[in-house]
Amino acid sequence: MKDLLRLRTSLTEEIEALLNEQIKVEAYSSSIYLAMSSWCDRNGYDNSAGYLEKQSGEEREHMLKLFRYVNDLGGSAVSPEVTNIPQEFDSFKGVFEMALQQEIQVTSNFNRIADRCQKANDYVTFQFLQWFLKEQVEEEYVARRILELFDVIGEEGAGRWEIDKHIPKVSFGNAGE
Amino acid sequence: MQAKINTHLIEIFKTECGSVYQCDQTNHFILEYAGRVTAFKPINFIDFTKRVFAINLHDMASNTARHADIAILMPLYTETCFLLTMIDTIRLQRILGGAKTILHLHTLLRTNQLQFA
Ligand SMILES: [Fe+2]
Ligand SMILES: [Fe+2]
Repeated sequence: MKDLLRLRTSLTEEIEALLNEQIKVEAYSSSIYLAMSSWCDRNGYDNSAGYLEKQSGEEREHMLKLFRYVNDLGGSAVSPEVTNIPQEFDSFKGVFEMALQQEIQVTSNFNRIADRCQKANDYVTFQFLQWFLKEQVEEEYVARRILELFDVIGEEGAGRWEIDKHIPKVSFGNAGE
Repeated sequence: MQAKINTHLIEIFKTECGSVYQCDQTNHFILEYAGRVTAFKPINFIDFTKRVFAINLHDMASNTARHADIAILMPLYTETCFLLTMIDTIRLQRILGGAKTILHLHTLLRTNQLQFA
């Protein structure tokens, strides 16, 4: 007797569903970063707007990486429906607090999926996820560093202008330089 | 004339109301329910199973609107349309759920993933 389900894909139904959920989360991240970019733009934080737009593009790449993986393994990647994107934010700092929260959420999602992969003996997907887990270390680091600028520089006077200038320069690579 | 017996047909799961077979020649799953036979490609079989389990039985039972008594399912790439009452839904869930479990068990056995505590 053939294993028809296995012939279709090496992904189990559960892992395929989890990956599709994550595709949706990355699409949501991409959209929320774009909304943040727009907010920054209309509030005079040009550099942050540019940085967040770039970030939005990266999230879309993350989504596509997952999307292609699901299809490459014979599964069905689902083009996600993204709704409820906030367009207004409390403050300049609030934007980046939300960004960090979103990244923390994404990290915990990937941990959960990796855990399920181990339980399901899906070491192929487990291996695939390593890239994302590493990426999340970087994403959280950058988001935290940006938030620290608000304390280090201070928001008074020309503080926000100064913070905005520094945001695009924060990166994981030149940590400690 | 004697009907040719299809030796590629393997019974996966059966209840008194219907059954699921697998055809190793066409790589289809075959659902037999209420005197009707429907063949599914594996991916569409999974999709159909999900839809049957997504039917809200509670809503069917409590909603007094007449249309709520019946669930309509049109599986992808098949010619058939399923009009399901609550009883039908429960019966189908039993058949499809049973088939899913057996298929899963087969996969586990084949890949030696079964561990006995
Ligand atoms: Fe991401
Ligand atoms: Fe991210």
